[in-house]
Amino acid sequence: MNSISQDFAPPFKLIAPFFIIGGFFYILSSLAVFLFDVDDLLFSSPAVISFMHLFLLGFVMMTIFGAMAQLVPVVLEVGHFGVELFYAIWPLLLIGTLLMVFGFLYSAALLPYGGMIVLISMMIFVGEIFLTIKKVEKLTLVMSSVLISNTFLFFGIIFGLLMALAYAGTISLDISQMLRAHIYLVVGGYIGVTIMGLSIVLVPMFTLSHSFSLVPLRISISLMSVGVVSVVLSSLFNANALAYLGYFLSFSSLLFYFYIIYIIYKTRPRKENDIYAISLMFSYSAMLVGLVFAVLYFILNEERFMLASAWVFFFGFFGFLITGHIYKIIPFLVWFERFSPLVGKQKIPMLADMIPQKSSQAQFVFSSVGVVLVTIAIVTKSDMLLHGGASFLFIGALAFVRSMLYMINFK
Amino acid sequence: MMYTKDEIFQAISTVIDPEVGFNLVEMGLIYDASSDDEGNVKVTMTLSTKACPLHQMILQWVKEAVEKLPNVKDVDIEVVWEPAWNISMADDNVKKALGA
Repeated sequence: MNSISQDFAPPFKLIAPFFIIGGFFYILSSLAVFLFDVDDLLFSSPAVISFMHLFLLGFVMMTIFGAMAQLVPVVLEVGHFGVELFYAIWPLLLIGTLLMVFGFLYSAALLPYGGMIVLISMMIFVGEIFLTIKKVEKLTLVMSSVLISNTFLFFGIIFGLLMALAYAGTISLDISQMLRAHIYLVVGGYIGVTIMGLSIVLVPMFTLSHSFSLVPLRISISLMSVGVVSVVLSSLFNANALAYLGYFLSFSSLLFYFYIIYIIYKTRPRKENDIYAISLMFSYSAMLVGLVFAVLYFILNEERFMLASAWVFFFGFFGFLITGHIYKIIPFLVWFERFSPLVGKQKIPMLADMIPQKSSQAQFVFSSVGVVLVTIAIVTKSDMLLHGGASFLFIGALAFVRSMLYMINFK
Repeated sequence: MMYTKDEIFQAISTVIDPEVGFNLVEMGLIYDASSDDEGNVKVTMTLSTKACPLHQMILQWVKEAVEKLPNVKDVDIEVVWEPAWNISMADDNVKKALGA
């Protein structure tokens, strides 16, 4: 029997803090958008850097780490090396992220401390994942994606720490040169490859779609991996040609990834448009829009298009992909812990019954309108649209956390 | 033979997949079932995905459902991945409800 055991899975009380804290960082990220100044919107401005770290470290990474605690045994088909280590990861990531954000906004002296604490939390995470992977006898494509993404994360945080030290004046480094490698390693290498690998397990599972080939995914992960290495080398050796090669490869990678998602979508037997399905549709549409903005940036060489691309990728693509999956993962975990022992003994809810319809739909509507408004604001440099969009995002984030707490407390 | 295939399928039809809300039999996940005079039951089934996090639990529910039949002594469940499950194996009401 090909046994994939739930016995390896960690208790919900271990995973819940990751999701709850991630949700509150989602709210803080939406508030951080109010700090943007459309006339001075640059990748190097403190408001933008603070937002990126709030969103990527506090929301995206925090939620992905929590999800990985649950999903690693499912994907790797072995138990964690030391699941208790996750109890140390979220407090460190929480403190480190807050210190870094305060450091960017108010006092650069805090950055090395925040960076070091984030580094420790991520090293614990990466170490635990590597030692868990070591137990796997034969690596599948999805397992390989976990290995590749965590290797990129390892190097990404080393670059990040060096930058934090340079930012605080502790060491002398060309931050702008390291920035490209840091962003690519963490965003493309870790978040990108993790999303590619895990979504190919999760999306077909929830849509019941199984009639597709994994070849486009293999190509996609390979292209993204070579693309990330290429950009990192371009940073180290100041070789622009390598950077452009990396951009082209990662762009192509996302097209292949979109293709396999499109095939899954087209062949899915489960056609209901629940909050999960519409969140993913918005997410992948945002990914395409982000690619279009990236192309516009390379053609017109205007930073506002690169900022719009990054924005749509972060809040649109990553954001909705994560919130959509939260509506599947949390009900499952709560149901498993609270209701599965009652199967056959009394009437129990289905997973869909545990999702609050009104607040989940409010979250989708407000957040999606917010993403669109802020995107237009970045491109047109409209302060009014920016604040209007941020207001929508804030209400959407509140509705998201409300939905999450409802699902966690469902009885 | 103590129980027919239909009788065993009837017993398993009490097991619901909490994600989709249908029972395993109407989902088409139960491929075969048989029993002998000694009360030994053999169930051949699959799951909609290899990565199903409820794998062990669903098998346990199937075992418990079959064990509720009088005089059943042992339940052997074999999970197979060939033929791979697809939506055409589900009942029409499932297909209709899912929009397939």
